[in-house]
Amino acid sequence: MIRLFHVYKSFGSKNPALIDISLTVPKGEFVFVTGPSGAGKTTLLKIIFCAEKPTSGHALVDGRNLMRIKDGELSSLRRRIGVVFQDFKLLPLRTVFENVALSLEVMGVPSSIIRKKVHQTLRYLGLADKEGYYPPQLSGGEQQRIAIARAIVNNPLILLADEPTGNLDYDLTMETMALLKEIHARGTTVIVATHSQELLKGTKRRIIALHKGRMV
Amino acid sequence: MKITFFRYFVRQAMRNMAENRLVHLIGLGTMVIAFLMFDAFILIFVNLNSWTQEQGRSLTMSIYLKGEPERAVIESIKKELLQYPVSITDFISKEDALKSLRKQLGEKAGLLDGLGENPLPASLEIVLSRDVSGDSLPYELKTTLERINGVDEVQYSQEWVEKFQAIMGAVRIIGLVFGGLLFLAALFIITNTVKLTIYSRKDEIEILKLVGATNRFVKIPFLVEGSIQGFLGGSVALIVLFLVYVAIMTKVDLSIGFASLDIIFLSPQFILLLLLMSSIIGFIGSTVSLGRFFRI
Ligand SMILES: Nc1ncnc2c1ncn2[C@@H]1O[C@H](COP(=O)(O)OP(=O)(O)O)[C@@H](O)[C@H]1O
Ligand SMILES: [Mg+2]
Repeated sequence: MIRLFHVYKSFGSKNPALIDISLTVPKGEFVFVTGPSGAGKTTLLKIIFCAEKPTSGHALVDGRNLMRIKDGELSSLRRRIGVVFQDFKLLPLRTVFENVALSLEVMGVPSSIIRKKVHQTLRYLGLADKEGYYPPQLSGGEQQRIAIARAIVNNPLILLADEPTGNLDYDLTMETMALLKEIHARGTTVIVATHSQELLKGTKRRIIALHKGRMV
Repeated sequence: MKITFFRYFVRQAMRNMAENRLVHLIGLGTMVIAFLMFDAFILIFVNLNSWTQEQGRSLTMSIYLKGEPERAVIESIKKELLQYPVSITDFISKEDALKSLRKQLGEKAGLLDGLGENPLPASLEIVLSRDVSGDSLPYELKTTLERINGVDEVQYSQEWVEKFQAIMGAVRIIGLVFGGLLFLAALFIITNTVKLTIYSRKDEIEILKLVGATNRFVKIPFLVEGSIQGFLGGSVALIVLFLVYVAIMTKVDLSIGFASLDIIFLSPQFILLLLLMSSIIGFIGSTVSLGRFFRI
């Protein structure tokens, strides 16, 4: 599903954010990417959903070479990757419903189906009564679940979550992790980036550890 | 294009305009002024143009005759004229000419009493019945008629029509330059209005791209927005122009001594053309600003 070969990424003259990363994530796996702040976790996820291009090396996602991808392919690839951003990236002037519907609107899904799918997803995440609210009216945990709803509403093949428990308390963290596992159980490949060692305690999942841009 | 996409694009464009009301209103205001000047110029130009053509079409000639004209002279002139697209409108005898001069002089008509002999020539007035603007026909006719015995001189109004047409040529060039500038102004206004809405939607564009929108999907609402704005600007300008036109035609007396000036409003075809043009300017304007944005 995801293959990286000797990927380097540098921003200007600073130390590279990623150094010689090679890895394979097969379809249906659940993987953690971990490491201290600044290790390159976010950059790695960005490479996978093509928000950044590797400076050198090769990246294949769902059979596509990310080094030379065109606008049309890029958008169709991104429709198969759901992303939960560290800062959520919700639109404050759009309702919860509209925020979640975006993922389907860009695909040209008819509005009756959009309505059905968004309702269904919001109900699944326990946000059914919040669909008319605007994100700033909601708590951090709720906003985060909206971000997850938007990422999964179109049944992506891959779900990327960047620090999904970053500013949640213990209970919400556990709830969110349970949710991600459930999504994984439905067949989605899930990659979670986190700096929290606590989250990894006792997990039997695969862990990709980064330190200063290198895999360790 | 799928109907759902279409609905999304229009809705999005409307939303852009609603959420950036002030920017759009200011943009619209300035654009209306630009279009209004343009439309007013077109209106004046079209009227002047048709007026000159009218003059060219109904060219009148005066054939001045020597002395007291004999029937034979008039007959030979008539015979000559048969070959030309003209009609005789009037015969003015020496007497008639004097009478009308007296009338024109009014109180000062006494001046004429001192003249022993009537110095005014008799004349034939003719009208050319086809458009002779830019044609050598009047000149030919003049030389032919002047060769006839008994004809003194032939005068016609072609000279000033030609001069007027030269002026119209200059007006056309000025109009082209002026219109071009107004066109650029309107383009500039739309480019900036749409640019402001694009910037106000920067986050949204980024997110749309991240959830899998194509560039086209992101761009089209802005193109719709620009076109609607151009169309609105064009419509409002035409409405204002029409109201001003009606006010002028009803309130102001345009008869300037000799003839009443009839101003005709732009034809429906012209109106459609202007509306189309303003929408196209809107479209081009937003294309320009999108080009700039997507290059950054
Ligand atoms: N857009 C960027 N421009 C410049 N430097 C960046 C950019 N994104 C990330 N970096 C740098 O790359 C390194 C890795 O960042 P990041 O991937 O965000 O780490 P993490 O998510 O593990 O905290 C950091 O040193 C960061 O400053
Ligand atoms: Mg990060």
